[in-house]
Amino acid sequence: MFGYVRPSLQELPAEEAARFRRMYCGLCHVLGSRYGPAAQMILNYDFTYLAILLSDGEEAVSHGRCVLHPVHGRDFFGGGRALELAADESVILAYWQLRDAVEDHGTLRGLKYRAAGGVLEPACRRAAALRPAFERTVREKLTELQALEQEQCDSMDRAADCFASLLACAAGETEDPIRRRVLEQLLYHLGRWVYLIDAADDLRQDAETGGYNPVALRYGIRDGRWTPEARQAFAATLDHSIHAMAAAFELWEFGVWRPLLEKTIYTGLFQVGKAVLDGTFRAQRRGIEKETEEGAI
Amino acid sequence: MNDPYLTLGVSESASDEEIKKAYRELARKYHPDNYHDNPLADLAQEKMKEINAAYEEINRRRGAGGGAAQPRPGYYQQQQYYGGGQSTSSVLQQVRIAIQTGNLTRAEALLANYSDHNAEWNFLRGAVCYRRGWADEAKRYYETACQMDPGSQEYRQALDFMENGTRRVYRPGGGQFGTDLCGGNLCLPLCCSYAIISSGGWVFCC
Repeated sequence: MFGYVRPSLQELPAEEAARFRRMYCGLCHVLGSRYGPAAQMILNYDFTYLAILLSDGEEAVSHGRCVLHPVHGRDFFGGGRALELAADESVILAYWQLRDAVEDHGTLRGLKYRAAGGVLEPACRRAAALRPAFERTVREKLTELQALEQEQCDSMDRAADCFASLLACAAGETEDPIRRRVLEQLLYHLGRWVYLIDAADDLRQDAETGGYNPVALRYGIRDGRWTPEARQAFAATLDHSIHAMAAAFELWEFGVWRPLLEKTIYTGLFQVGKAVLDGTFRAQRRGIEKETEEGAI
Repeated sequence: MNDPYLTLGVSESASDEEIKKAYRELARKYHPDNYHDNPLADLAQEKMKEINAAYEEINRRRGAGGGAAQPRPGYYQQQQYYGGGQSTSSVLQQVRIAIQTGNLTRAEALLANYSDHNAEWNFLRGAVCYRRGWADEAKRYYETACQMDPGSQEYRQALDFMENGTRRVYRPGGGQFGTDLCGGNLCLPLCCSYAIISSGGWVFCC
C-alpha cells in the first residue's frame, strides 16, 4: 500500500529537496526517540508526506548523527507536536498494514510480515494508547475491508473507502475546523488514489494467485491485462481523486511546503499513475529503492 | 477588509495588466466549476468573494478607466446546481435541496425510502456518491440515468463530467490536468483510434 506517493527529488529545486530530506530525517529521529530503533524501519516517503501535511511549520532545524549518517550527520526537523502525531499515526498504520499483509499472504508466505508485526507490536500498543481514536478507526476500517475481501465486493469505491476513511482520520486532531476539513478531504482522496493504484499495480499478481482485487472485479479483468476502455475509465476515476485533492489543497496555505505539495499533486501522482498503468512502475521503483539504499536521501 | 493587493498576491506597484492576470488565475482556481459537487465548495465560494471584492477595490482605487478590457468585477459568480433541474416528485426535490445544503445523510435516507428508481433517482444517487468521493459509483448511476432518459441534458452533462471533466479543471500555469495514458509510447495509435471511435470523432486523449 505504501510507496506510491513520492517526490521527484531530482526535479525539485535543491532547497525544496533539502527541506523534504529534513522532514524525512526528522520523522526518523522522532520514531527512534519515541519507539526505538525497530520503529525506524517503517520510515518511508508516504509517512513523510503525512508529517508535512500535519506540520504547522514550527519545526526547528537541528543537526545530528545517526546510524546511516555517522560522520557528518544531517540537518533535520526536530520534535514538535505535528511530527509526534505523524510518528504515532505512522506506527499504527504500519502495524495494521502488516497485520493485513499476514491475512493476505496466508500462513507461510505471511511469515515475514508476521515477524515484522511482532517486532512492531509493543510500539503499536504505545501509539494506540496515545492516539486511541485513530487506532480504533484504523482497526475498524481494516476489519471492514477484510469483510469486503471475503465477499469479493466488486465496488472499488467501497473497498477504497475503507483505506481512504482511515487516512482521513489522521487529520482528526487538527484544531482549526477549516484546516481539518481541507486535510480530511485531501487525505481521503489520497487514500482512495493509493488504494486503487495499489490494486492496479497488483493486477497481474492477483490474477496468478487469486488474491482479492476490486479493480479486476470491477472491470472483469481475469488475466491481469487492461483493455483500453477499462484503462481509460480507470484513469478518469483516479483523476477525479487527484482533482479533489488539488481542489482541497488550494483552500489552505501550506506555507513552505506549498511548492513540494503542488508538484506532487499536479505532476507526481500523474506520473506514478501513468507508470503503474503502462507497467513500468515496478522497474522504476526498484531503481528508487536502490537509490535510497545507496544513501541518496 | 484585508489588503486587496495581498489577497491577489500582487504588489501595489503592479501594472493593471499584472493585476488582471493575477485575478484571472485566482478566479480560474476557485471558480465554482472547479468545485462542482465538492464538499468544500462553500470554502471556495468564500475565496471567490474575497478575490472579487479585492479586484473591485483595486479597480475602484485606481479609477474606473484604469485599464482597458477589464473583466467585469464579480464576473465569476457561484452557480446553482440542482436548482435548474425539474424534479418529478416532491421527495426528489427535497433530495436536491439536501444535496445543495451538503446534508448527504438526509439525501441518502430520502433516496433509500423512495421505491421508484427512475432516471432522476439514479442521477441524484450519483450526485450523492460523487460528493462522498465515490467517483466510480457516481459514474455508474449517471450512466443508468442517461440510459433511462437519454434526452436529459442534465444527466448527460453529469456523465460527461465523470468521463472527461477533469481534463478541463484548473492546473497551475495551464497545461492539461490528468493521467496521461499516451505520452509518446506505443499505445498512442491504439488509444487515439479508440477515442475517435468511442466518442464520435472527439479526440480527448491526445
